[in-house]
Amino acid sequence: MSAGRYDAIVVGGGHNGLVAAAYLARAGKRVIVFERRHVLGGAAVTEEIHPGFKYTVCSYVVSLLRPEIIRELELPRHGLEILPLESTFTPLPDDDYLVRWADHDQTRRELYRHSARDAEAYDEFGRLMYQLAVAVKPILAMIPPDPTSMSPKDLMGFLRLGKHFRGLGHEQFHALHKLMTMSSADYLDEWFETESLKATMSASGIIGTFLGPRSPGTAYVLLHHYMGEIDGAMRAWGFAKGGTGAVSESIASAAREHGAEIRTEAPVAQVVVKGGRAIGVALENGDEYEAPVVVSGLDPKLTFLKLVEERHLPSDLVRDIRRFRIRGSSGKVNLSLSELPDFTSLPGVGPLHQGAISVSPSFDYLERAYDEAKYGDFSSRPYMDCIIPSMIDPDMAPPGKHVMSIFVQYAPSDLEGGWDDRKREAFGDAVIDTLAEYAPNLPGAILHRQVLTPWDIERTMGLTGGNIFHGELSLQQLFCMRPAAGWADFTTPIRGYFQAGSGTHPGGGVTGASGRLAAMKILGGRL
Amino acid sequence: MSAHFDTIVIGGGHNGLVTAAYLAKGGQRVLVLEGRDVVGGAAATEEIFPGYRVDTGAHRIGGFSKRIVSDLGLAGRFELLPADPPTFAPVEEGPPLTLWADPVRTAEEIRTHSTADADAWPAFVKLVSDAAGFLESAWHATPPDITGTDVRDLWSSASLGHRLRRLGKRQMVEVMRILPMSMYELLEEWFESDVLRGTLAASAVQGLCQGPMGGGTVYLFLHHHVGAPSGVIRPTVRVRGGVGRLSEALATRCRELGAEVRTGAVVDRVVVEDGSARGVVLADGSEIRATRIASSLDPQTTLFGLLDPAYLDPAVARKVENIRYRGVTAKVHFALSGLPDFACRTGSGPHLEGAISIGPSLEYVERAYDAVKYGAVSAEPCLELSIPSLVDPDVAPEGRHLASVVMQYAPYALREGAWDEAARKALGDLVARTITRYAPNFESLIVDRMVLTPADLESRFGLTEGNVYHGEMTLDQLLFMRPIPGASRYRAPIEGLWLCGSGAHPGGGVTGVPGANAAREMLRGR
Repeated sequence: MSAGRYDAIVVGGGHNGLVAAAYLARAGKRVIVFERRHVLGGAAVTEEIHPGFKYTVCSYVVSLLRPEIIRELELPRHGLEILPLESTFTPLPDDDYLVRWADHDQTRRELYRHSARDAEAYDEFGRLMYQLAVAVKPILAMIPPDPTSMSPKDLMGFLRLGKHFRGLGHEQFHALHKLMTMSSADYLDEWFETESLKATMSASGIIGTFLGPRSPGTAYVLLHHYMGEIDGAMRAWGFAKGGTGAVSESIASAAREHGAEIRTEAPVAQVVVKGGRAIGVALENGDEYEAPVVVSGLDPKLTFLKLVEERHLPSDLVRDIRRFRIRGSSGKVNLSLSELPDFTSLPGVGPLHQGAISVSPSFDYLERAYDEAKYGDFSSRPYMDCIIPSMIDPDMAPPGKHVMSIFVQYAPSDLEGGWDDRKREAFGDAVIDTLAEYAPNLPGAILHRQVLTPWDIERTMGLTGGNIFHGELSLQQLFCMRPAAGWADFTTPIRGYFQAGSGTHPGGGVTGASGRLAAMKILGGRL
Repeated sequence: MSAHFDTIVIGGGHNGLVTAAYLAKGGQRVLVLEGRDVVGGAAATEEIFPGYRVDTGAHRIGGFSKRIVSDLGLAGRFELLPADPPTFAPVEEGPPLTLWADPVRTAEEIRTHSTADADAWPAFVKLVSDAAGFLESAWHATPPDITGTDVRDLWSSASLGHRLRRLGKRQMVEVMRILPMSMYELLEEWFESDVLRGTLAASAVQGLCQGPMGGGTVYLFLHHHVGAPSGVIRPTVRVRGGVGRLSEALATRCRELGAEVRTGAVVDRVVVEDGSARGVVLADGSEIRATRIASSLDPQTTLFGLLDPAYLDPAVARKVENIRYRGVTAKVHFALSGLPDFACRTGSGPHLEGAISIGPSLEYVERAYDAVKYGAVSAEPCLELSIPSLVDPDVAPEGRHLASVVMQYAPYALREGAWDEAARKALGDLVARTITRYAPNFESLIVDRMVLTPADLESRFGLTEGNVYHGEMTLDQLLFMRPIPGASRYRAPIEGLWLCGSGAHPGGGVTGVPGANAAREMLRGR
């Protein structure tokens, strides 16, 4: 008995699922979205865990959201407002500090304080990275061709790609090759000498990976994060007014306006497959909905191994998805504060509180944090990327009070002996103890603390292994290999069943790119 | 001023000699200048202990190209000794592991550790052999210029693509997929046995400043399997009488083909006139002219050590400066009064004939690497012992044995202290002590020993920072990126100067391929 019939059903109301739904609805399809939780957004949510204090529970900054999505879905009209993050402040153990400003010249001035050579190199580095980001950008917006196929369409895809790279010229091509294959530490060593600068820059290359800055493969993620652009201004990081949940809400609002239905607290049990075709979904409460198109915004493990039965899939693909690497490496701590952290290296309240605060004093520091995780422990002195949302958007906390969002790495999902309440608190303590070394007043200012381990992220958000990118961003899991060779074009072996989550190209971050490309594939190439 | 040559080859290492032989065969007047008193460079055999013939640098030559042997008529001039088993891995507890040349026998051996691993072994061996076969084609090709439009480049890229497709759809994707991976990721997919994972991982990081969890380490593992007989994992092939016999055979062949090979001739600098390399000046001040110069020394030694920096474009100089070397291996040679007796497999036997690899788990190897990140020597190092005297009695006096050990990780740049006599002694003691944990009689057998730290490898063999490959074998320093982007086709950034050593594609190991490829390009360039 069917509870409803639609043109398309989207499983998962994360930002990618919502983007796919919005585009499909905009093209005139009757669309319904089923979200397991009571709130939309998946890992891009804002929740009032502690009364009066709004936490950007998981994802906390916006930089990679594709500008064409903002434009095409008219997200500003639906409430999206991105507030700039002006700086990244790195406190140092010797009571010095380093600040990188959104303003290039201001950063240059600050760098002169540390190294004149680095200040000079920063210009050329910025120029090159900008050029490379421009060179890579079109690739993020294309459906990857299939390397196993000899079809004219796929061969043309590779030819076009080849032409694109050849058009870059020697210097950029070689620089891109280096970025794709080097460690962020080695890459940055070629440019700079200030340890804190290199470590802080490299940190963006390790976010969400299970690698240290000296591991090859991390330089690429450096570029991934450089690609952030807001209204065309590359490299600018931002905070969505109302928290990251507001991004999801604005997309949902656009989808609704185009006629999409969105149901929360409606967990999907499985995709119904008949004769090799997806014909709808069955909810956990037993209701069945029919549609010729079913789109999964979940990660590849859930999309292929949980929502559908293995017998519908070729064994090669099952094997590929089983070995798809999706180890979580990070945790999150959210705090309600009675006062702002006061940093000994730069006392008082200042503009630094409106930017990011990065605990990444040196490569050695980051590597030691990684070493502990390699052997199954969480970092006792972790890398942290913090922001204080209430300093950017006062509505996030009651007057005079603050919220602080702390991204923490490394916290391995395969912790020796597994995570439990005691270890969660020990992990939270390690985070606070480390921050207290730089801002001694912090422990006394905490009104409430939320600690999320990779297991909590998996349990709450449904991210397998707590991996925030739906799968590690390693070279062998990118582009036409994401999530598996032959199935990187958003389709699946089950006709009518599509993938739209971050586990597909281009992967990771609140980009919406996967959802948009999936919709494009479903609609036959046109949005 | 003396006689004029078509080509002067700087460095009589195996690659320099291969280049010289090909050029002489191609009709050129060739002069090889070797600074040491023996030819071979790091592939030399020396009597460092009385009555012993010791391969002081390289001792395994699995990848020496058969094509070169046949092109240069070297067959029968040296004898290869492939070990079977190629690798034995002792452990402190539980059964050890032996990798045999026969994969079926190896699989049975692995079964004592894990049934699943034994079942997976044949498919793993096939994958390694397919991937290595593909790499072999790439080895012999001059790296294509991706951004260029030369027909030759397009053809060479296309034929490599075709070679890859011949593996079949599934295996093609698989080979491409594993190339950038870390050994840890690969082994997680295949095996569960600690000692098997450790032993394979140890081979993937040899000479590399990375642990098996570092991306790109699968590549180096495959590199070591190019040219190996199908089915053999971790091949161990020696030369009877020492690896120096190979170098001597090459030098002899050069002379027969009309080339002149001089030892004890240290090149001080390359003479550049009107932007072109025109000759060399020796340490004794004499100058020798030639139409072109080929250097088999590593790229930094060649371009910074032998050239006036004023001749290099600053942008090019920066690329050369950025070549990563970071040697992490030390070599320790022991003269022994008898054979080591391993606790996990007592007595003598074939298990001592190949490489004896101490790296009992992947985590052990990774932990050994951790130290070097902070500029320290591994407290529990990875070791690879070779006892050539067991299969080749000529290399040690009657009743005595020779054990050569590759030790990893020892950083070239120590953060605390320097590579002085005390540090060298501590390193030798550490190696002896570590082996003794597995073979309790080892320390009591030592008659003499020689420790070569990364700093010693640099001063003795001219290997910059002690890197045995003339530059790290990482994905960003391979193919068209080796030795530096824009100069990957054996032409140095100075007209008339060529690079023919391991710093050029396809890189390190006693393969002869960089030397052969360089000669081909030089003969074509005329």
